[in-house]
Amino acid sequence: MISFFRVIQFALQDIVRNLSLSLMTILILIVMLLSVNTLFIIRVLTFEATQTVKNRIDVSVYFTPTATDEQIQTVRSLLNSFPEINTAEYFDRGQVLEQFRTTHVDNKGILQSLDELGENPFGSTLILKTREPEDYKKIIQSLSVPEYSDIIETKTFADSERAINRITIITRQVERASVFLTIFFVLVAFLIIFNTIRVAIYTQRREISIKRLVGATNWFIRGPYIVEAILFTIFSMAITSLLVFFVAKLLDPFVSVVFEKSNILTTYFISNILLLLSAQFVAVLVLTIATSLLAMRRHLKV
Amino acid sequence: MISLRNVTKIYNRDSVGLKQVTIQILAGEFVCIVGQSGTGKTTLVKLLIAEERPTDGHIEVGGWNITKICYNDIPFLRRQIGVIFQDFKLLSRKTVQENVAFALQVAGEAQTRIRDVVPRVLDIVGLWHKKNSYPDQLSGGEQQRVVIARSLVHRPKILVADEPTGNLDSINTQEIMQIFKKINEFGTTIVLVTHNREVVNQLRKRVITLHDGRIISDQAVGKYRL
Repeated sequence: MISFFRVIQFALQDIVRNLSLSLMTILILIVMLLSVNTLFIIRVLTFEATQTVKNRIDVSVYFTPTATDEQIQTVRSLLNSFPEINTAEYFDRGQVLEQFRTTHVDNKGILQSLDELGENPFGSTLILKTREPEDYKKIIQSLSVPEYSDIIETKTFADSERAINRITIITRQVERASVFLTIFFVLVAFLIIFNTIRVAIYTQRREISIKRLVGATNWFIRGPYIVEAILFTIFSMAITSLLVFFVAKLLDPFVSVVFEKSNILTTYFISNILLLLSAQFVAVLVLTIATSLLAMRRHLKV
Repeated sequence: MISLRNVTKIYNRDSVGLKQVTIQILAGEFVCIVGQSGTGKTTLVKLLIAEERPTDGHIEVGGWNITKICYNDIPFLRRQIGVIFQDFKLLSRKTVQENVAFALQVAGEAQTRIRDVVPRVLDIVGLWHKKNSYPDQLSGGEQQRVVIARSLVHRPKILVADEPTGNLDSINTQEIMQIFKKINEFGTTIVLVTHNREVVNQLRKRVITLHDGRIISDQAVGKYRL
């Protein structure tokens, strides 16, 4: 127990007496954590952007006016069995007519022609949204069977197939790029933290060997460095979290203009705060402690 | 107290530290190990504190068989031997008082005992007034006295000093030798490794002379003969 308190005392003493090196280590940890968090922000924005594009894509299935409710229900039941479908919005003939009137409220000529027809010329419409753009093809294929040729008038998919394919490719590439960037930055962060700690230990190699010669056990020597690593991690995480939250708050008004959704970044950070903080804390802590122990190993062979 | 039997230390084919060295040092003895540079004096010190392992032979220090000492037992051996180095080996970011206290802290001594013993030891070496100074604020002689205080604070039965006066002027050298004599009078076995002719001749103690890794003379009351 005495040794435990001494280890903590030595760690605090080392931090204070070697303040410039301690501050530099914390600063580098902050810079690295900030770059990783910047990537999180980029990933959130990329995700939002691709989701926005994906949400804009839908496929409309227009039924013939003669299609009966029973026939339409059969199609809807079939579509409900597809897990790929996110939403299926159904508009009956009356709703379609109403929508048409609302859309063309300023065009008296069209509305007059519609009145002259004397009956509702529209069939029911089903608007489908899938989880991924590439799922549309499968849905449309299932509807392109002779069984439904009499009740389905048109499907808009054929017109937008090329656009959907293009968007699928772009979103996939953006996602891949962001994963690659994340891995790259994490690797850079890892290397910089590894070298910072190694240099910090290297500057103290003489002290480490002296402690050993005076009769200190390895754990009595390593202890203060482990405590320092824990404290550096806590300080850097706390400062980084505050900075990231502040930046997210600052960016949110601009982001909400683009994505028509408010507090995207702050909501993301708040809802994932436990995962983000714990993952980063554990990663930095394991890295700093492991690096300290590895870097010290050579100097303890006295 | 210290026993070396046919100890050989070979670093590599071209560098042999010690060859078939046999030494018996009794409790309370004051022994000077002399020899020119590169004759194996520092190798002998390193073997005594288990910084190096012998290639062949048998070493016993203070009842410990350290020939094949386990790595984890080395700190416990070192807590029983006071070691003084030519380059002082003080912890630069600790004060004089903290450097001396460190030798007790590593051994898990209670804080009350540390508070009691450290001032007394610093007083013996005449450095209590500099207790809050850092090593780089002290002269060479003062730094060496801090090292002596550190090596004595846990009351070792053996004190090994490797060229303790190598970096000191003659006045400081005399002071350090007076301290060693006093320590020896209290019963501590002292192994003094030096190539300082004056020091050895003035002491008039047992002198073991090394040459090319071998003992060439061992006199009960000797002089520096090289």
